[in-house]
Amino acid sequence: MSPEVFSLSQTPITAHAFSADRKDIAVSLNSNDVQLYTRKGSDWTPTETLSEHDKLITSIDWAPVSNRIVTASQDRNAYVWTETTDAETGKLIWKPTLVLLRINRAATHVRWSPLENKFAVASGARAIAVCSFDEESNWWVAKHLKKPIRSTVLSVEWHPNNVLLAAGSADMKARVFSGYIKEVDERPAPSVWGSKLPFNTICGEYSSPAGGWVHAVGFSPSGDALAFASHDSSITIVYPGGPAIYTIRSPSLPLVTLAWTSEESIVAAGHDCKPLVYAGSEQGWQEVGTLDDSSSSRASEGSRSGFGSSSSVGRLKAGAFATFRDADSRGQSSLSGTATGLSDTKLNTIHQNTILSVRPYEVQGGYVTKVSTSAVDGTLVIWDTNEVSALAGKMGGVRI
Amino acid sequence: METSFRKIDIDKYDEDVLNDEDLYDADPRDPAMVLEEAKQRQVAVRSSLAKNDTAGALAVILDSPPYGPNTEQAKEITLSTLLTILNSTKTTEITPVIKSLSQDAQDTLMKYIYKGMAMPGWGDISGSVLLGWHEKLTEVTGVGSIVRAMTDRRIV
Repeated sequence: MSPEVFSLSQTPITAHAFSADRKDIAVSLNSNDVQLYTRKGSDWTPTETLSEHDKLITSIDWAPVSNRIVTASQDRNAYVWTETTDAETGKLIWKPTLVLLRINRAATHVRWSPLENKFAVASGARAIAVCSFDEESNWWVAKHLKKPIRSTVLSVEWHPNNVLLAAGSADMKARVFSGYIKEVDERPAPSVWGSKLPFNTICGEYSSPAGGWVHAVGFSPSGDALAFASHDSSITIVYPGGPAIYTIRSPSLPLVTLAWTSEESIVAAGHDCKPLVYAGSEQGWQEVGTLDDSSSSRASEGSRSGFGSSSSVGRLKAGAFATFRDADSRGQSSLSGTATGLSDTKLNTIHQNTILSVRPYEVQGGYVTKVSTSAVDGTLVIWDTNEVSALAGKMGGVRI
Repeated sequence: METSFRKIDIDKYDEDVLNDEDLYDADPRDPAMVLEEAKQRQVAVRSSLAKNDTAGALAVILDSPPYGPNTEQAKEITLSTLLTILNSTKTTEITPVIKSLSQDAQDTLMKYIYKGMAMPGWGDISGSVLLGWHEKLTEVTGVGSIVRAMTDRRIV
């Protein structure tokens, strides 16, 4: 089955989250509002707008069981949205609850814990706020993970045991913390990450191989392995039990988001605008291909100007080089609407700009069979994770 | 080399300042040792080059290069040694030599190519050679290697 492509907006999709039944989606269209859509056949129709934040919403997560949405924003706040019946009109509305984050910089990323009784908010204040509900005061309170974070935390992800938390940070480190809160958590069983886990225990700290910001982190479904992607165009998989660490240096642009699809495979995406698939085990990891089969019809529409098909670096007589040469010597602009000029700027990938988020969409028998991606081009795509096509022969397009 | 874009020290007003040194693991070798090593390598590279072993010479010079503070002299020696290798390699040999290097060495080579191009005045002498190597290296490693040369704080 070919990927389902939905063009939601002309603006970037900063974050997206599906409801449990996958019939609704919450997105941040690079704005202060959360936009909700409902699926009608092969289309998404806007339903509600959740407005409370007064700066850009950076991250959204939708708890599947308790049906609550949590949003994080650059206004240093997070809100938990609950669907309740309005007393006056009898309609269902989303009601916000403020979270006392106590951070003095932007909130960058938010994720519900597996049991949905906690969530973690990453922030630019060199801290992660682990939030739990305070029944007495009827609001969410935060406890801060601070040490030894030295810079902005860019992503957080929960371990399946509801206690451990992985965080990727701009200080070039991926870390595993304990987010144990005694009011809500039971004592976790010992795992490969450790046995005694009071709050803020550091269970692992891993550097990116060539000093790149760690953009994305993720635990494998069992929780026994950690993967992180960093801005030095690499993805690293860590087995603390081994201990074994595998780093794959990619020949292309950096990855900014990843999702485990099984214990042995990862889908990751980023500035190259197409989801890549990595596979391996405790014995080693490698890149196996992409979900974006660029050899299909789109390939004939032309390639990225100056990058695509030219096999020789430095001799970019086509594309960008030709564009500038024409503009310079003949005063021709490719913007004048010629067919070639237009097709030149189209990438031979489905997404036309950086993919910002990849998330599991459909799970069958413990395997993620479909993933969803949202990107700067305002497009949402749902991919079949079994449709992996080899990159061989197409690398020419990737490596400038 | 002066690379900082900000000339006023605003960090002294920040109690919790993040220094460059906090962002990478320090070199375990002390500066004197690094300098000594750089000089030894210079000799080793000359003897490799005399035997026409370009790949061997590159592997020697690109292994654990000097980085971090107080190693300016060692960095300079390493760069000039590397440039003698690059200058003395035939164009047809470049790609096979690059392919014989480890991924680490390829990434380090990219760092030195950029450093060579950034040094004031050096571009006039070896600019075309550096550009030639840059082209061949990018064909082998992809843009990933350029990204790593830009992000890595262990500046050579």
